[in-house]
Amino acid sequence: MTDDPHTMNRRQLIRHSAWFGAAVGLAVVGGEVISHVAGTAQASHVQGRPALRFAQVSDSHIGFLGKANPNVAGSFSQAIERINNLGYTPDFVIHTGDLTHLATPEQFDQVKQMMTGLRTPHVFTVPGEHDSVDDAGQKYRSVFGAGTRGDGWYSFDIAGVHVIALVNTLNLKKLGHLGADQLDFIAKDVAALTNDTPIIVFSHIPLFAMYPDWGWATDDAAQALSHLRRFSSVTCLNGHVHQVFSKTDGNVTFYSGTTTAYPLPHPGDGPAPKPVTLPAGQLHDALGIREVSYIRGHDTLALKEQALQ
Amino acid sequence: MPERHQGARVVLLAAMLLAGCSSHQSATSPPSVTFGSGATTPGMPGMSGMPPMPNMPAATSTSSTGSPAPVAGNAVNIDNFAFVPATLTVPAGSTVTWTNKDDEPHNIVANDGSFRSPGMGSQATFSHTFPTAGTFDYVCGIHPFMHATVVVTQ
Amino acid sequence: MNYLIRFGIAVTLTISGISHAYLYIHGYQHIPTIGPAFMLQASVSFALALLILLGGPAWLQWAAAVLAGGALIAFALSRTVGLFGFSELGWEPSPHAAISVVAELVTVGLWVVCLVERRRAVAHA
Repeated sequence: MTDDPHTMNRRQLIRHSAWFGAAVGLAVVGGEVISHVAGTAQASHVQGRPALRFAQVSDSHIGFLGKANPNVAGSFSQAIERINNLGYTPDFVIHTGDLTHLATPEQFDQVKQMMTGLRTPHVFTVPGEHDSVDDAGQKYRSVFGAGTRGDGWYSFDIAGVHVIALVNTLNLKKLGHLGADQLDFIAKDVAALTNDTPIIVFSHIPLFAMYPDWGWATDDAAQALSHLRRFSSVTCLNGHVHQVFSKTDGNVTFYSGTTTAYPLPHPGDGPAPKPVTLPAGQLHDALGIREVSYIRGHDTLALKEQALQ
Repeated sequence: MPERHQGARVVLLAAMLLAGCSSHQSATSPPSVTFGSGATTPGMPGMSGMPPMPNMPAATSTSSTGSPAPVAGNAVNIDNFAFVPATLTVPAGSTVTWTNKDDEPHNIVANDGSFRSPGMGSQATFSHTFPTAGTFDYVCGIHPFMHATVVVTQ
Repeated sequence: MNYLIRFGIAVTLTISGISHAYLYIHGYQHIPTIGPAFMLQASVSFALALLILLGGPAWLQWAAAVLAGGALIAFALSRTVGLFGFSELGWEPSPHAAISVVAELVTVGLWVVCLVERRRAVAHA
């Protein structure tokens, strides 16, 4: 029996609708089952807590005075409150740069004081270009540089994860820049690690080409990433762009984090990355912090953005 | 035919269960941090128990430097994240004055390192005298996609 | 409609669905946009496979071919220009990527055979 392709009687319509409904229903059920299995797989790994949980906060710009946010210290304080009330103590907190707006001693003082209020065993930072304005980062290093190498880079291991903190905000020609010494450090730093060691990289400026016209890229990141190609899990977290954005390139996933100060336009949305003044009441939706979990066996980290609201 | 799709269902279920199964250890205590070789450990300790510090008034932005002595034709404005004019031609011995008309801070960094301004807040100015002829490319050190040139003639 | 071809499409759909479901469960769930897309691909594959086996109407095979074709296009995009900011190299994650691609190619191939058969059947009728 072949159906005439141009007409359909009501019985056939009901029949086809029934099959269509069955397809949709089955797909929904299938999706639920798959999600549930995925959730159980995660839970069975966790049994209480992931191997590593930390929080990222970025671009506090303490000292900024502008319409986009008349009280950046207030919103940074709120962000710290959020981190202190996650329901668990993060294993560390990382500030991905532009802690201050103008790198004055008072601003460094204020931001350091505020961050001592974070309830976490370790607080790590990398400098932004605003933190290195007058002096190629000297003041930043005098406040936050203890134990770091070169212009302020370093690495550490926690819960079997290798974390590298990079400085790509000095000697800028047009984009972010790491420099030969730092590239050398990266190569030597990962040389002895096995391929299944998860790697997390922090930097201020994105290590991928998010929007080079506005300087949202790093000119020698490719060399750095070439040292990381052999690892099964590499996650790069950055600030600088004041908005959430992600990109996956093979074994490397890049996540830009949002700010606690003021939003910037989306790439290309306007002539320049100037602070955006949002309508009243909308600012705190654009500001936020980020929770990151690492579950053993999963190559991608689980991220959760939290707006300040 | 019914037993065929029964079989498929069983295979499906088995596959999904297999995929979901795994046994891995999990940490129960907070992980410790191991730092690479170095005299002190990087980062700073957080706090436990005490509430965050109260807000402090924000510091004022940096003041302008250099004496503004604008000679007509030797001025560069920083406007809307751009240097205007992008190319300025002056005779040797002239003094060029930059003025920041933006709300955001900027600075002036010569590519060859021959001059560098401090951070310039809004309405701040910076002046530099060019004794010798040459072409001097410079960028804003904070927003290095902003670039311009001063051409100094004999 | 040749029963063997229907059965074949159901099997290849299931294989492709299992590959995507497995990757979703093992980490791809965390990738923005791509994660949910994988889950969608897997669940729709399983649903279509089952209904095709149960002897549903011909448009189910069309849907299967579209789904498989779409998955192939998405795969090609992810190896070249990237898809929703996601890109991968070569045949990673191996062997799931290769298995899925082969299954999808066979799905489309079987559907073409099915089309040709129907045309021939109509022509001879």
